[in-house]
Amino acid sequence: MKERDARDLETGDKWEVQLRKGCLELAILAALWDGRGYGLEILRRLESDSDLVVSEGTVYPLLSRLKALGLVRSEWVASDAGHPRKYYALTPAGKRRALEMAGIWAQFSSSMSKLLAPLTKENE
Amino acid sequence: MTLTGDSQQRIDAYLGRLRGRLRGIKDDEVREIVEELRSHIMDKAAASGEANGEVTAARVDAALTALGSPEELASQYMTDTLLARAEVSRSPVRILRGLFRWASLSIAGFFVMLGSILGYFFAAVFILVAVLKPFHPRTAGLWVFANSAGDSEISFRMGFGSVPSGGKDVLGWWTVPIGWMVGCGLVMLTTHVALWFVRQYRKSRALP
Repeated sequence: MKERDARDLETGDKWEVQLRKGCLELAILAALWDGRGYGLEILRRLESDSDLVVSEGTVYPLLSRLKALGLVRSEWVASDAGHPRKYYALTPAGKRRALEMAGIWAQFSSSMSKLLAPLTKENE
Repeated sequence: MTLTGDSQQRIDAYLGRLRGRLRGIKDDEVREIVEELRSHIMDKAAASGEANGEVTAARVDAALTALGSPEELASQYMTDTLLARAEVSRSPVRILRGLFRWASLSIAGFFVMLGSILGYFFAAVFILVAVLKPFHPRTAGLWVFANSAGDSEISFRMGFGSVPSGGKDVLGWWTVPIGWMVGCGLVMLTTHVALWFVRQYRKSRALP
């Protein structure tokens, strides 16, 4: 019985990991919506504007993936800090994709919220 | 900001290990990745302390730890880049190049690469025979003939050289459409299967 509980917990954890990772792409596109930003800046936006805990080692490869997909472009900009920073900005395709994903998200989360209303009460 | 020699060494060692694991990615892309992370580490180390701007070894270490191991980071770059490219292009050459990188990381990647090479190889053979049939109408095609042991043997021939006597060209001119269909079908199948494996691999490595 105990073993089974442990396995259920693990599946739950994996689910949360999948969920977070699945949302991260949209989260990054959203963080760039108001203007360009470099990696650490994007990470800080994600942390300050939301309670998303994001691992740094995940964001950089994901940014490179978004660039390979043509959703963002990048440029090096000199800074006061003494070293250049790589800034990312949404491409037109990236903007379209972000809007599309945001629409899907809004619809999906409102459907889920309706369905989960009784469970949320139980949790309180 | 100032950087002690020791901190500089730690950063260089970390980035060196990362660079070593990014084999197969184009040189200028590797340079971009490394420089971007160097810039991140400097910002992170400078920001996490007081405003005097001095970057201590402890802060550099904290910044490196937060990034994770260079090996883990490199494998995320390779699979993320690989899948993104494959999704965009679907070209067998790009997929094989990506799989080659994956194969250097894990046994599973090696077998997926082997399977894909076989898949594309057989696809190429079918298409080649279909292409060559009009040039070698009497010898190219799917042949069945008796071998020296007396068993019937099936062989797929490009049409170079002669055919053993008593052989029979089973498909005739059907070789052309069937060769193209099977060849192209194999290319699509191999591509789909390879991408499916890559996606499973990516899912299994999902990080918080």
